[in-house]
Amino acid sequence: MMNVKELSTKLEYTVFALPDPVAQVTDGYTSDLLSDVMGNAAEDSVLITIQAHRNTIAVASLIGIKAIVLCNGRMPSPDMVVAAEQETVALLGTAENQFTTSHRIAAALGIS
Amino acid sequence: MRYCIDLHNHSCLSPCGSDSLLPAVLAMEAADKGIDMLALTDHNSGRNLPAFAEACEIVGITGIFGLEVTTLEEIHVLTLFETVREALEFGQWIESILPRVHNSARLFGNQFVCDVRGTIIEEADLFLYGPADITFDALIEQTLEFGGLAIPAHIDRPANSVTANLGFLPELPYSAVESIAMPPTVETHGYTVTQGSDAHYIEHIGRRRCFIESASDGFSGLRSALTAGAVSYLGF
Repeated sequence: MMNVKELSTKLEYTVFALPDPVAQVTDGYTSDLLSDVMGNAAEDSVLITIQAHRNTIAVASLIGIKAIVLCNGRMPSPDMVVAAEQETVALLGTAENQFTTSHRIAAALGIS
Repeated sequence: MRYCIDLHNHSCLSPCGSDSLLPAVLAMEAADKGIDMLALTDHNSGRNLPAFAEACEIVGITGIFGLEVTTLEEIHVLTLFETVREALEFGQWIESILPRVHNSARLFGNQFVCDVRGTIIEEADLFLYGPADITFDALIEQTLEFGGLAIPAHIDRPANSVTANLGFLPELPYSAVESIAMPPTVETHGYTVTQGSDAHYIEHIGRRRCFIESASDGFSGLRSALTAGAVSYLGF
């Protein structure tokens, strides 16, 4: 377990929104199909994806996902950043791809 | 004759559509903007089509009755029908294969079904954004088999488009493909290209449209014009 601020600092992510730095994450889920995320991701996860738009925040909030890491250097739309603040979801970014990001987050969370 | 068409619009039924975008408001505004043939294409549901049909008749434009279906690959496709009855039947089938997720109005927006006056008849409980349990290829086939027109939506958009989600445009018997930009910024492989407003707010109505050369402003005229590629665009 780790809070989103620690995760972001440790893995040197770009921070787009960090409304609740001490929110705890316990698991991860990697997917670019939001319907798949909606059906299968666990609460308190960090979502690893390239879907850099507002709907991703809505799905995260619905499920109780605490953080989103946008991969491959994708930039969030401005309304996505606003929604992340409103829905208290950390929004982070990295130049790395989904595979590498998943691997590194799993290691940081001690679940690899 | 040259007719102005706009085949992509939402109403207050779509969770992402404005609550003020009543079916009758859509029809009235579009008529004001000179649109002759107008489609209502809410996400995965046809429940506002009866009110829309009534409004189109009152304002004297041709209503095209459709849905914007989300496929398993989360690609948006416009499916258009001649009659409300066909569109409702198709819509019921699409709703029956949507994920059984309740809508959260706070997160996604309201899903109002209303009559022609704008009175709310019901709030759709099922989350209508999709995806339906059908692949892109199968949806195209089913729509055409059902007598409808199948048009992959906004193929030049970075999300929820066939180009973005599959990486290419499969060779299928589309009625046309819809592009936001004109000329299109992606390869359209000789398919007829349409432009539609994709209105989610009243101020979007009529923001994109195109023109067909057709003997009539009916559905069969539309079908023939799309097949023949008899489509022209503002400024081109």
